[in-house]
Amino acid sequence: MSTTVKIPATHLETGSRQVGRPLERIDAKGKAVGSTRYAGDYVMPDMLHAKVLRSTVASANLRRLDVTKARALPGVVCVLTGADVPKHMVSTDIPGQTGSWGQNTGQPILVHDRVRYFGEPLALIASESRDIAERAMTLIEPEYEPLPGVFDPIEALKPEAPLVQGVGNVVASQMVRKGDVKHGFETADVIVERVYRTQFIEHAFLEPEVGLSWIDENDVINIHVSTQVIEHFRVVADAVGLPYNRVRIRGALVGGGFGGKEDVTVEIYLALLALATRRPVRLEYTREDSFVGHGKRHPFVMTYRTGVKNDGTITALEAKFIADAGAYVFLSPSVMVYAATAAPGPYKIDNLIADAKAVATNNMYTSAFRGFGAAQACVAYEQQMDEVAKAIGMDPVKFRRKNYMRAGDRTATGVVVPSAIWTEQCVDQAWTALGEPVEVSGPIKIGRGVAACLQGYGRLTSLHDTSEGWVGVERDGTVTVRSGVTDIGAGQVSALAQIAAEVLGVTLQDVAVYNSDSAVTPLAGTTTATRALYMTGNAIRQAAEAVRRRLAQRAAKAFNVPPDDIDMAFSKVFVADDPAQSMAFRDLVRICAAEGIHCSELAMFCAPFTEKLNPETGQGQVHPDFSYGAHAIELTVDTETGEITVIKSVGAHDVGRAINPAAVEGQIEGGAVQGQGYALSEEMIYKEGRLMTPSLSEYLIPTAMDVPQVKCIILESGSGLGPFGAKGIGEAALTPVAAAIANAVADAIGVRIAELPITPEKVVNALREKE
Amino acid sequence: MYQTTNTRIIVPEFDVRQPTSLEAVLRELEHNAKGTRLLAGGTDLLVQIKLERTQPARLIDITRVPELMGMAVKDGMLIVGAATSIRTLANGVGVRERYTALAESCDAFSTVPVMIMGTIGGNLCNASPAADTAPALFAFDGAVELASCEGSRRTVPLDEFFVGPGRTVMREDEVMVAVRLPKTAAGTGSAFVKIGRVAADISKVSAAVKLVRKDDRVSECRIAVGAVAATPMRAYTAEQYLAGRRIDAKTLADAARAVEEDVKPITDVRSTKEYRTHVAGVAVKDALGAAWQRARGGERQ
Repeated sequence: MSTTVKIPATHLETGSRQVGRPLERIDAKGKAVGSTRYAGDYVMPDMLHAKVLRSTVASANLRRLDVTKARALPGVVCVLTGADVPKHMVSTDIPGQTGSWGQNTGQPILVHDRVRYFGEPLALIASESRDIAERAMTLIEPEYEPLPGVFDPIEALKPEAPLVQGVGNVVASQMVRKGDVKHGFETADVIVERVYRTQFIEHAFLEPEVGLSWIDENDVINIHVSTQVIEHFRVVADAVGLPYNRVRIRGALVGGGFGGKEDVTVEIYLALLALATRRPVRLEYTREDSFVGHGKRHPFVMTYRTGVKNDGTITALEAKFIADAGAYVFLSPSVMVYAATAAPGPYKIDNLIADAKAVATNNMYTSAFRGFGAAQACVAYEQQMDEVAKAIGMDPVKFRRKNYMRAGDRTATGVVVPSAIWTEQCVDQAWTALGEPVEVSGPIKIGRGVAACLQGYGRLTSLHDTSEGWVGVERDGTVTVRSGVTDIGAGQVSALAQIAAEVLGVTLQDVAVYNSDSAVTPLAGTTTATRALYMTGNAIRQAAEAVRRRLAQRAAKAFNVPPDDIDMAFSKVFVADDPAQSMAFRDLVRICAAEGIHCSELAMFCAPFTEKLNPETGQGQVHPDFSYGAHAIELTVDTETGEITVIKSVGAHDVGRAINPAAVEGQIEGGAVQGQGYALSEEMIYKEGRLMTPSLSEYLIPTAMDVPQVKCIILESGSGLGPFGAKGIGEAALTPVAAAIANAVADAIGVRIAELPITPEKVVNALREKE
Repeated sequence: MYQTTNTRIIVPEFDVRQPTSLEAVLRELEHNAKGTRLLAGGTDLLVQIKLERTQPARLIDITRVPELMGMAVKDGMLIVGAATSIRTLANGVGVRERYTALAESCDAFSTVPVMIMGTIGGNLCNASPAADTAPALFAFDGAVELASCEGSRRTVPLDEFFVGPGRTVMREDEVMVAVRLPKTAAGTGSAFVKIGRVAADISKVSAAVKLVRKDDRVSECRIAVGAVAATPMRAYTAEQYLAGRRIDAKTLADAARAVEEDVKPITDVRSTKEYRTHVAGVAVKDALGAAWQRARGGERQ
């Protein structure tokens, strides 16, 4: 049933010279002073500028797409339409570095005949200037024959609904069955049922999609791009009909991803245009392009039904999720797996039914977004926990405590979690940290809420995920790390440097990391799924340890002690018990080089490999391991205007081991802000498929003025599967925040608003209905 | 609502003039008023151009014209140059003390770049129903001074200035020179309340109140509400109701109800008609309460 990965224990287990310290990240200064170069900062001589023309209807036959006038415009070099790329489909990113093959999304790269969502790409333009490309776009007039569309997943399930893809509208589903739910409900004293809803949301990363492509002297297509996944070189190669080793993707430091740069973005367009023109091509999305150009978070309708005994024991849970997949499938199947298997949250529920369905509509397609289905589930299960507690008159924290899954318990899918489960510690610490409540009066009411979560880290184990990394030492005592990993702003690269520095006894400044190049850095897999530190960190640690072992062996010979007695620190190599016996690290490297001792290592780390889940029962391993955490909120609600002000925001997470505590804080703070937006203000509104919130003036993300100082509590069980016992934090930081806010609002006003975002309008309506 | 999925960063070409005197501004207007837009900060206009909602052939930047900038008190009247920035106005000597609601409406712009770029004249001439300074200027019985290239000058009371969303009585050959605010009487209190979605946001609803408190009664009261009709509007029913009354829980509730009956808001992507109607009453009530307190203190008039 369960397979756990074992990391060989070494004498290095207690690293703490570099690892565990809030060191200044190697990417920090450049970002602070503005000298960092992102993908959009690169230009080339003779470069063309590209634009993507998109549909302005959501469901139609494309009758005609006359590009004659656009092609005739002086300065326009190339216009491509669906007719120019007849057979090619967009693939999802499933490859990464996994054993799984790319899955066709069913979406043509450019529309051939059928438009299925507002903003679907129709044509690509490359011209001498961006201005000309923009003008050329206005010269293309698509002729549509409108077709009926379907814009709501519940409607799309009805037999009479239009079929988005010509086949059934259910594009993905996952079931989980455990225990005897019927019996569970029969033995319950109280049954609580509620429908919770979440909305489309946008990643709103700081840096919109951008890239530059060119064909080099070896006829290889190079693409310098802002992405979470350099392994998209395969998707690009498939799209343009080249062998995989003829496409090279170079990443750059990325200005945020959050899952929105997990699917392929501009890469295929850039490759097609570079091939067609044999000139370098640059494509940069405006914010508005970006809003219509990438998939959103799945909106969920979640029906929860929980049976509970009066003493607080949960006897059964039935959870049904219906998600809006939008027009194309993308990562919906995996999102459904995450959602269904996370349905009970971090609680021990022996009788469980969870069904998740993703349904096609003519809305924008939905795909990866930090939390990946498990975040939506948390919005439901943590609100439900509060409601169940209330129904039996029990304190919500006490009620949770009675039901936490603990070490040795089996998950929803029947697996024993290989690491510590510190949900209780996280909830208790976050809750306690709220301290004394602020004083309020008049129409202002105060509310508090807490939410716990579990979040898998590492990709689905059925994908057979791997990561390679290379470490070498130089004769001046510096260390080089090579890893394909992409740094999307969370400090992924700096963490690798810290790990290598720890193992080899040098400082962070002695390490240079070369990363994110699909042709020359070892492929490390995607920066998604809270996997970069876990997978890549382990690979780099393994590589560094192999190098260290060989160096230590040579040093042991020199000092005439066993290799285990050798320590390395401060760029010195010495006998652990007798530091006076020492030599400079670089001298040891020189000796090794002279004697032909291999001073570098390419390592591969493999996550646990499992079969796919049983589709009927959902039993089996899903993730390598889980992170557990909690978020607590204190807020005020103005009962006259419905306005909500978050006063205190506390995240407490067991990260296993904080490789860099400052970076962990950054993740928790970012999660708190993004989660607050999810709960209170953010919503991509589609009306008949048309985007009504096309820019940041309609789509409201919280600013520094809307968010309180976030308190971060970092717990370290040391039990994770990542390097030095680390777990993952990237997604977990966000997952519990929205539910904690929803619970706090319900606490403040005594009525639950079970539909995100909780806007003042909804608060005022709810209060009126209550009266 | 845009019908397009693409927007431009590089905007269509246009001429920009940067005159340094009012006379030069008027000369520019005289030559070619058609297709010309005055640029008074650009926090709205530049966005409109980017979205291709307007395509001016020529912009006349009036933010380098000394006569249009800064503040002065003349015969007790506060005169604010049309190109005075929101931030300069908010920090103007005596503005916060005497015209509290106006200073608060400037604060509501929230983000420093917008406060520095944006101007009072720009905020008014853009004629958004949600223009933050408009309700406050209504409440203080403000007027705007317009100059035309033919040499004529006219003063228009602010309540007659707005015609509809994006439309005013100002002609193409005119430029706004200044905003004039009468002296505030002893016992005056004022307040501005804004309801937005996040801190840096366009109003869903805004309200400004100015009242004079005499013998513990309202001797004079002006109430204006923003973003609840095609133009910023006065809440006359509530004003008349309050005249001669004390401000207490009952009169506040009655005034709020009167406001709710007078406003005509719409549902859009930012909020709903129902919510705006309700909150207009709440905003006026809160502004009235604050203005009443301030009027008694006398430390702020």
